[in-house]
Amino acid sequence: MLLRGSGTAGLWWWLTLLLVACAARASEITFELPDNAKQCFYEEIVQGTKCTLEFQVITGGHYDVDCQLEGPDGAVLYKEMKKQYDSFTFTASRNGTYKFCFSNEFSTFTHKTVYFDFQVGEDPPLFPSENRATALTQMESACVSIHEALKSVIDYQTHFRLREAQGRSRAEDLNTRVAYWSIGEAIILLVVSIGQVFLLKSFFSDKRTTTTRVGS
Amino acid sequence: LALYFHSGEREEKCIIEDIPTDTLVIGNYKVQRWDIHKQDFLESAPGLGMFVTVTTPSAEVLLSKLYGPQGTFSFTSSLSGEHIICLQSNSTRFVAFAGSKLRIHLDIRVGEHFLDESVVQAKDKVNEVNFRLEHLIEQIHHISKEQNYEREREEKFRKTSEETNSNILWWAIVQTLILIFIGIWQIKSLRDFFISKKLV
Repeated sequence: MLLRGSGTAGLWWWLTLLLVACAARASEITFELPDNAKQCFYEEIVQGTKCTLEFQVITGGHYDVDCQLEGPDGAVLYKEMKKQYDSFTFTASRNGTYKFCFSNEFSTFTHKTVYFDFQVGEDPPLFPSENRATALTQMESACVSIHEALKSVIDYQTHFRLREAQGRSRAEDLNTRVAYWSIGEAIILLVVSIGQVFLLKSFFSDKRTTTTRVGS
Repeated sequence: LALYFHSGEREEKCIIEDIPTDTLVIGNYKVQRWDIHKQDFLESAPGLGMFVTVTTPSAEVLLSKLYGPQGTFSFTSSLSGEHIICLQSNSTRFVAFAGSKLRIHLDIRVGEHFLDESVVQAKDKVNEVNFRLEHLIEQIHHISKEQNYEREREEKFRKTSEETNSNILWWAIVQTLILIFIGIWQIKSLRDFFISKKLV
Protein backbone atom coordinates (compact mmCIF):
# COMPACT_ATOMS: atom_id res chain seq x y z
CA MET A 1 0.00 0.00 0.00
CA LEU A 2 2.60 2.54 0.99
CA LEU A 3 4.83 3.67 -1.85
CA ARG A 4 8.49 3.26 -0.97
CA GLY A 5 11.62 4.58 -2.68
CA SER A 6 13.94 2.12 -4.36
CA GLY A 7 16.07 0.49 -1.69
CA THR A 8 18.54 2.48 0.38
CA ALA A 9 18.95 5.36 -2.08
CA GLY A 10 15.53 6.69 -1.23
CA LEU A 11 16.17 6.28 2.47
CA TRP A 12 19.44 8.24 2.36
CA TRP A 13 17.79 11.00 0.36
CA TRP A 14 15.03 11.18 2.90
CA LEU A 15 17.49 11.34 5.79
CA THR A 16 19.40 14.18 4.10
CA LEU A 17 16.18 16.08 3.51
CA LEU A 18 15.25 15.64 7.13
CA LEU A 19 18.63 16.98 8.27
CA VAL A 20 18.33 19.98 5.97
CA ALA A 21 14.75 20.76 6.87
CA CYS A 22 15.66 20.29 10.55
CA ALA A 23 12.78 22.38 11.83
CA ALA A 24 10.11 19.95 12.87
CA ARG A 25 10.59 17.07 15.25
CA ALA A 26 8.32 15.40 17.74
CA SER A 27 9.58 12.85 20.21
CA GLU A 28 7.20 10.99 22.42
CA ILE A 29 8.55 8.47 24.87
CA THR A 30 6.94 6.43 27.63
CA PHE A 31 9.44 5.24 30.20
CA GLU A 32 9.54 3.92 33.72
CA LEU A 33 11.03 6.14 36.39
CA PRO A 34 12.21 4.11 39.40
CA ASP A 35 11.85 5.46 42.94
CA ASN A 36 14.38 8.11 43.98
CA ALA A 37 15.47 8.46 40.37
CA LYS A 38 15.80 11.38 38.02
CA GLN A 39 15.83 11.12 34.25
CA CYS A 40 16.92 13.98 32.01
CA PHE A 41 16.51 14.49 28.29
CA TYR A 42 18.38 16.96 26.11
CA GLU A 43 17.60 18.53 22.78
CA GLU A 44 19.47 21.04 20.64
CA ILE A 45 17.16 23.80 19.53
CA VAL A 46 17.67 26.68 17.14
CA GLN A 47 16.75 30.16 18.31
CA GLY A 48 13.21 31.26 17.58
CA THR A 49 11.70 27.78 17.33
CA LYS A 50 8.41 27.29 19.06
CA CYS A 51 8.51 24.17 21.24
CA THR A 52 5.96 22.34 23.34
CA LEU A 53 6.62 19.93 26.19
CA GLU A 54 3.71 17.86 27.41
CA PHE A 55 3.89 15.11 30.00
CA GLN A 56 1.58 12.83 31.93
CA VAL A 57 2.10 10.25 34.64
CA ILE A 58 0.37 6.99 33.72
CA THR A 59 0.95 4.59 36.63
CA GLY A 60 2.40 4.65 40.10
CA GLY A 61 1.64 6.01 43.54
CA HIS A 62 -0.15 9.34 43.48
CA TYR A 63 0.45 9.69 39.73
CA ASP A 64 2.65 12.76 40.12
CA VAL A 65 6.19 13.72 39.21
CA ASP A 66 8.52 16.73 39.42
CA CYS A 67 9.40 18.33 36.11
CA GLN A 68 12.01 20.98 35.29
CA LEU A 69 12.95 22.54 31.97
CA GLU A 70 16.21 24.50 31.64
CA GLY A 71 17.68 26.59 28.88
CA PRO A 72 21.26 26.41 27.56
CA ASP A 73 22.57 28.88 30.17
CA GLY A 74 20.92 26.98 33.04
CA ALA A 75 17.98 29.38 33.31
CA VAL A 76 14.92 27.54 34.60
CA LEU A 77 12.09 28.00 32.15
CA TYR A 78 9.60 25.70 33.82
CA LYS A 79 9.59 24.06 37.21
CA GLU A 80 6.69 22.23 38.81
CA MET A 81 6.64 19.82 41.74
CA LYS A 82 4.29 16.85 42.00
CA LYS A 83 2.32 17.49 38.84
CA GLN A 84 0.12 14.82 37.26
CA TYR A 85 -0.20 16.34 33.84
CA ASP A 86 0.95 19.56 32.20
CA SER A 87 1.66 21.18 28.89
CA PHE A 88 4.23 23.97 28.41
CA THR A 89 4.89 25.98 25.25
CA PHE A 90 7.89 28.23 24.84
CA THR A 91 9.92 29.89 22.12
CA ALA A 92 13.64 29.24 22.21
CA SER A 93 15.33 32.53 22.97
CA ARG A 94 18.85 31.21 22.30
CA ASN A 95 20.60 28.50 20.37
CA GLY A 96 21.78 25.61 22.44
CA THR A 97 20.95 22.48 24.33
CA TYR A 98 17.73 22.55 26.30
CA LYS A 99 17.34 20.07 29.11
CA PHE A 100 14.23 18.75 30.81
CA CYS A 101 14.20 16.41 33.77
CA PHE A 102 11.63 14.25 35.48
CA SER A 103 12.27 13.47 39.11
CA ASN A 104 10.75 10.83 41.37
CA GLU A 105 13.10 11.61 44.25
CA PHE A 106 10.29 12.38 46.69
CA SER A 107 8.93 8.86 46.42
CA THR A 108 10.41 6.07 48.50
CA PHE A 109 9.12 2.94 46.86
CA THR A 110 6.78 3.62 43.96
CA HIS A 111 7.88 3.40 40.34
CA LYS A 112 6.21 5.81 38.01
CA THR A 113 5.52 5.42 34.31
CA VAL A 114 5.85 8.81 32.63
CA TYR A 115 4.85 9.79 29.10
CA PHE A 116 6.16 12.94 27.49
CA ASP A 117 5.84 14.53 24.09
CA PHE A 118 8.38 17.14 23.05
CA GLN A 119 7.45 18.95 19.88
CA VAL A 120 10.10 21.17 18.26
CA GLY A 121 9.04 23.55 15.53
CA GLU A 122 6.09 23.28 13.19
CA ASP A 123 5.56 20.44 10.75
CA PRO A 124 6.80 21.07 7.22
CA PRO A 125 4.01 22.02 4.79
CA LEU A 126 2.52 19.14 2.87
CA PHE A 127 2.98 20.84 -0.47
CA PRO A 128 6.12 22.97 -0.21
CA SER A 129 5.72 26.40 -1.79
CA GLU A 130 9.33 26.83 -3.02
CA ASN A 131 9.01 25.41 -6.51
CA ARG A 132 5.40 26.10 -7.33
CA ALA A 133 4.09 28.19 -10.18
CA THR A 134 0.44 28.27 -9.17
CA ALA A 135 -1.57 28.23 -5.98
CA LEU A 136 -2.73 24.95 -4.44
CA THR A 137 -5.35 23.09 -6.40
CA GLN A 138 -8.58 22.05 -4.75
CA MET A 139 -7.32 18.48 -4.38
CA GLU A 140 -4.15 19.66 -2.71
CA SER A 141 -5.88 21.99 -0.28
CA ALA A 142 -8.34 19.19 0.54
CA CYS A 143 -5.34 16.96 1.28
CA VAL A 144 -3.84 19.62 3.52
CA SER A 145 -7.02 20.08 5.54
CA ILE A 146 -7.54 16.32 5.88
CA HIS A 147 -3.94 15.98 7.06
CA GLU A 148 -4.42 18.68 9.70
CA ALA A 149 -7.67 17.10 10.87
CA LEU A 150 -6.03 13.68 11.13
CA LYS A 151 -3.14 15.12 13.11
CA SER A 152 -5.55 16.54 15.64
CA VAL A 153 -7.45 13.21 15.74
CA ILE A 154 -4.20 11.43 16.55
CA ASP A 155 -3.47 14.03 19.21
CA TYR A 156 -6.86 13.54 20.89
CA GLN A 157 -6.52 9.81 20.58
CA THR A 158 -3.17 9.91 22.40
CA HIS A 159 -4.65 12.00 25.19
CA PHE A 160 -7.57 9.64 25.55
CA ARG A 161 -5.29 6.59 25.57
CA LEU A 162 -3.20 8.09 28.37
CA ARG A 163 -6.23 9.04 30.48
CA GLU A 164 -7.70 5.57 30.01
CA ALA A 165 -4.38 3.93 30.95
CA GLN A 166 -4.24 6.04 34.09
CA GLY A 167 -7.86 5.19 34.99
CA ARG A 168 -7.27 1.50 34.39
CA SER A 169 -4.16 1.56 36.57
CA ARG A 170 -6.14 3.18 39.41
CA ALA A 171 -8.95 0.62 39.02
CA GLU A 172 -6.50 -2.29 39.22
CA ASP A 173 -4.84 -0.75 42.31
CA LEU A 174 -8.26 -0.37 43.92
CA ASN A 175 -9.19 -3.95 43.13
CA THR A 176 -6.08 -5.45 44.73
CA ARG A 177 -6.35 -3.11 47.71
CA VAL A 178 -9.99 -4.10 48.32
CA ALA A 179 -9.13 -7.80 48.10
CA TYR A 180 -6.17 -7.63 50.51
CA TRP A 181 -7.80 -5.37 53.07
CA SER A 182 -11.01 -7.45 53.11
CA ILE A 183 -9.13 -10.69 53.67
CA GLY A 184 -7.03 -9.00 56.33
CA GLU A 185 -10.09 -7.64 58.10
CA ALA A 186 -11.86 -11.02 58.08
CA ILE A 187 -8.82 -12.71 59.59
CA ILE A 188 -8.42 -10.01 62.25
CA LEU A 189 -12.12 -10.32 63.08
CA LEU A 190 -11.89 -14.06 63.59
CA VAL A 191 -8.67 -13.92 65.58
CA VAL A 192 -9.86 -11.11 67.87
CA SER A 193 -13.28 -12.60 68.64
CA ILE A 194 -12.01 -16.12 69.30
CA GLY A 195 -9.20 -14.67 71.39
CA GLN A 196 -11.66 -12.60 73.45
CA VAL A 197 -13.65 -15.69 74.43
CA PHE A 198 -10.61 -17.66 75.51
CA LEU A 199 -9.18 -14.69 77.41
CA LEU A 200 -12.44 -14.26 79.26
CA LYS A 201 -12.56 -17.95 80.07
CA SER A 202 -9.03 -17.77 81.42
CA PHE A 203 -10.01 -14.92 83.83
CA PHE A 204 -12.77 -17.04 85.31
CA SER A 205 -10.57 -20.09 85.59
CA ASP A 206 -8.11 -18.19 87.84
CA LYS A 207 -10.92 -16.85 90.02
CA ARG A 208 -12.36 -20.33 90.35
CA THR A 209 -9.10 -21.68 91.83
CA THR A 210 -8.89 -18.77 94.33
CA THR A 211 -12.49 -19.32 95.46
CA THR A 212 -11.85 -23.05 96.01
CA ARG A 213 -8.75 -22.22 98.05
CA VAL A 214 -10.73 -19.76 100.14
CA GLY A 215 -13.51 -22.33 100.48
CA SER A 216 -11.32 -25.18 101.76
CA LEU B 1 18.51 12.46 15.58
CA ALA B 2 17.45 15.02 18.08
CA LEU B 3 16.48 13.89 21.54
CA TYR B 4 19.20 12.34 23.66
CA PHE B 5 19.76 11.20 27.23
CA HIS B 6 22.63 9.92 29.31
CA SER B 7 23.13 6.43 30.58
CA GLY B 8 25.77 4.48 32.50
CA GLU B 9 28.13 2.20 30.60
CA ARG B 10 26.41 -1.04 31.48
CA GLU B 11 23.02 0.42 32.31
CA GLU B 12 19.95 -0.76 30.50
CA LYS B 13 17.49 1.90 29.47
CA CYS B 14 14.02 0.87 28.48
CA ILE B 15 11.07 2.60 26.93
CA ILE B 16 7.52 1.37 26.77
CA GLU B 17 5.34 1.39 23.68
CA ASP B 18 1.67 0.50 24.06
CA ILE B 19 0.63 -0.43 20.52
CA PRO B 20 -2.09 -2.38 18.69
CA THR B 21 -1.34 -5.51 16.64
CA ASP B 22 0.28 -5.40 13.18
CA THR B 23 1.92 -2.07 13.86
CA LEU B 24 5.34 -1.33 12.48
CA VAL B 25 7.69 0.40 14.90
CA ILE B 26 10.95 1.84 13.61
CA GLY B 27 13.71 3.06 15.92
CA ASN B 28 16.78 5.12 15.10
CA TYR B 29 19.53 5.50 17.62
CA LYS B 30 23.07 6.80 17.90
CA VAL B 31 25.34 6.27 20.87
CA GLN B 32 28.39 8.27 21.89
CA ARG B 33 30.87 7.55 24.61
CA TRP B 34 32.33 10.07 27.07
CA ASP B 35 36.06 10.55 26.70
CA ILE B 36 37.94 11.30 29.93
CA HIS B 37 40.87 13.01 28.20
CA LYS B 38 38.92 15.28 25.89
CA GLN B 39 36.16 15.82 28.50
CA ASP B 40 33.61 15.53 25.75
CA PHE B 41 31.62 12.91 23.93
CA LEU B 42 33.45 11.23 21.07
CA GLU B 43 31.91 11.72 17.67
CA SER B 44 32.21 8.04 16.86
CA ALA B 45 33.20 5.18 19.11
CA PRO B 46 34.33 2.21 17.07
CA GLY B 47 33.74 -1.13 18.71
CA LEU B 48 30.87 0.20 20.76
CA GLY B 49 27.62 -1.59 20.12
CA MET B 50 24.15 -1.66 21.55
CA PHE B 51 22.01 -4.64 22.39
CA VAL B 52 18.47 -3.91 21.36
CA THR B 53 15.87 -6.12 23.03
CA VAL B 54 12.16 -5.93 22.35
CA THR B 55 9.81 -7.77 24.71
CA THR B 56 6.15 -8.44 23.90
CA PRO B 57 3.30 -8.10 26.42
CA SER B 58 3.38 -11.90 26.91
CA ALA B 59 7.04 -11.65 28.04
CA GLU B 60 8.39 -13.19 24.82
CA VAL B 61 11.46 -11.68 23.23
CA LEU B 62 10.58 -10.39 19.79
CA LEU B 63 13.92 -8.92 18.83
CA SER B 64 17.33 -9.27 20.42
CA LYS B 65 20.23 -8.12 18.30
CA LEU B 66 23.54 -6.37 18.61
CA TYR B 67 23.86 -3.28 16.46
CA GLY B 68 26.74 -0.86 15.97
CA PRO B 69 27.11 2.59 17.53
CA GLN B 70 24.50 3.89 15.13
CA GLY B 71 21.63 1.93 13.76
CA THR B 72 18.03 1.39 12.87
CA PHE B 73 15.87 -1.39 14.18
CA SER B 74 12.26 -2.24 13.45
CA PHE B 75 9.66 -4.75 14.47
CA THR B 76 6.01 -5.48 13.82
CA SER B 77 3.81 -6.27 16.76
CA SER B 78 1.89 -9.54 16.63
CA LEU B 79 0.10 -8.92 19.92
CA SER B 80 -1.48 -5.73 21.12
CA GLY B 81 -0.12 -4.38 24.35
CA GLU B 82 2.90 -2.91 26.07
CA HIS B 83 6.07 -3.69 24.21
CA ILE B 84 9.30 -2.85 26.00
CA ILE B 85 12.29 -1.68 23.96
CA CYS B 86 15.57 -1.92 25.87
CA LEU B 87 18.97 -0.59 24.93
CA GLN B 88 22.15 -1.76 26.61
CA SER B 89 25.69 -1.24 25.48
CA ASN B 90 28.04 -4.16 24.97
CA SER B 91 30.82 -2.35 26.76
CA THR B 92 33.07 -4.73 28.67
CA ARG B 93 34.50 -2.08 30.97
CA PHE B 94 34.00 -2.52 34.68
CA VAL B 95 31.23 -0.55 36.28
CA ALA B 96 33.70 0.97 38.74
CA PHE B 97 35.27 3.02 35.96
CA ALA B 98 34.39 6.47 37.21
CA GLY B 99 32.99 9.24 35.10
CA SER B 100 32.13 7.07 32.17
CA LYS B 101 28.78 7.52 30.57
CA LEU B 102 27.04 7.18 27.27
CA ARG B 103 24.95 9.61 25.31
CA ILE B 104 22.10 7.88 23.51
CA HIS B 105 20.20 9.67 20.75
CA LEU B 106 16.85 8.03 20.15
CA ASP B 107 13.96 8.42 17.76
CA ILE B 108 11.05 5.98 17.70
CA ARG B 109 8.34 6.08 15.07
CA VAL B 110 5.13 4.12 15.49
CA GLY B 111 3.02 3.34 12.45
CA GLU B 112 4.18 4.19 8.95
CA HIS B 113 3.86 7.92 9.01
CA PHE B 114 7.12 8.97 7.43
CA LEU B 115 6.94 10.63 4.04
CA ASP B 116 9.01 9.16 1.29
CA GLU B 117 10.23 12.25 -0.49
CA SER B 118 12.02 10.50 -3.33
CA VAL B 119 8.72 9.62 -4.95
CA VAL B 120 7.61 13.25 -4.76
CA GLN B 121 10.70 14.19 -6.75
CA ALA B 122 8.97 12.76 -9.78
CA LYS B 123 7.38 16.21 -10.24
CA ASP B 124 4.23 14.71 -11.66
CA LYS B 125 1.19 16.59 -10.39
CA VAL B 126 -1.23 13.68 -10.38
CA ASN B 127 1.28 11.34 -8.82
CA GLU B 128 2.09 13.77 -6.03
CA VAL B 129 -1.54 14.09 -4.93
CA ASN B 130 -1.96 10.35 -5.35
CA PHE B 131 1.02 9.80 -3.09
CA ARG B 132 -0.28 12.20 -0.44
CA LEU B 133 -3.64 10.46 -0.51
CA GLU B 134 -1.95 7.09 0.02
CA HIS B 135 -0.19 8.59 3.02
CA LEU B 136 -3.48 9.93 4.40
CA ILE B 137 -5.14 6.53 3.95
CA GLU B 138 -2.24 5.00 5.87
CA GLN B 139 -2.79 7.49 8.68
CA ILE B 140 -6.51 6.70 8.81
CA HIS B 141 -5.81 2.97 9.01
CA HIS B 142 -3.45 3.54 11.90
CA ILE B 143 -6.06 5.65 13.73
CA SER B 144 -8.66 2.95 13.15
CA LYS B 145 -6.37 0.24 14.55
CA GLU B 146 -5.59 2.36 17.60
CA GLN B 147 -9.28 2.92 18.26
CA ASN B 148 -10.00 -0.78 18.02
CA TYR B 149 -7.25 -1.48 20.53
CA GLU B 150 -8.59 1.30 22.74
CA ARG B 151 -11.97 -0.44 22.77
CA GLU B 152 -10.31 -3.64 24.03
CA ARG B 153 -8.50 -1.79 26.79
CA GLU B 154 -11.59 0.06 27.90
CA GLU B 155 -13.40 -3.26 28.13
CA LYS B 156 -10.67 -4.59 30.40
CA PHE B 157 -10.96 -1.41 32.48
CA ARG B 158 -14.69 -1.85 32.81
CA LYS B 159 -14.28 -5.51 33.83
CA THR B 160 -11.80 -4.54 36.54
CA SER B 161 -14.17 -1.88 37.90
CA GLU B 162 -17.10 -4.27 37.92
CA GLU B 163 -14.99 -6.92 39.63
CA THR B 164 -13.99 -4.41 42.31
CA ASN B 165 -17.63 -3.51 42.78
CA SER B 166 -18.74 -7.12 43.24
CA ASN B 167 -15.68 -7.85 45.42
CA ILE B 168 -16.64 -5.06 47.81
CA LEU B 169 -20.21 -6.34 48.03
CA TRP B 170 -19.15 -9.98 48.47
CA TRP B 171 -16.58 -9.23 51.16
CA ALA B 172 -19.00 -6.98 53.05
CA ILE B 173 -21.56 -9.78 53.14
CA VAL B 174 -18.93 -12.31 54.25
CA GLN B 175 -17.72 -10.03 57.02
CA THR B 176 -21.25 -9.36 58.26
CA LEU B 177 -21.97 -13.11 58.34
CA ILE B 178 -18.72 -13.73 60.21
CA LEU B 179 -19.70 -11.04 62.72
CA ILE B 180 -23.15 -12.56 63.29
CA PHE B 181 -21.92 -16.14 63.63
CA ILE B 182 -18.98 -15.19 65.81
CA GLY B 183 -21.32 -13.17 68.03
CA ILE B 184 -23.70 -16.10 68.40
CA TRP B 185 -20.79 -18.47 69.07
CA GLN B 186 -19.30 -16.14 71.67
CA ILE B 187 -22.50 -15.78 73.65
CA LYS B 188 -23.26 -19.49 73.42
CA SER B 189 -19.77 -20.47 74.42
CA LEU B 190 -19.66 -18.12 77.40
CA ARG B 191 -23.13 -19.18 78.55
CA ASP B 192 -22.14 -22.85 78.47
CA PHE B 193 -18.92 -21.96 80.28
CA PHE B 194 -20.67 -20.05 83.07
CA ILE B 195 -23.28 -22.81 83.48
CA SER B 196 -20.54 -25.41 83.73
CA LYS B 197 -18.69 -23.28 86.29
CA LYS B 198 -21.91 -22.91 88.27
CA LEU B 199 -21.76 -19.12 88.19
CA VAL B 200 -25.19 -18.72 86.62
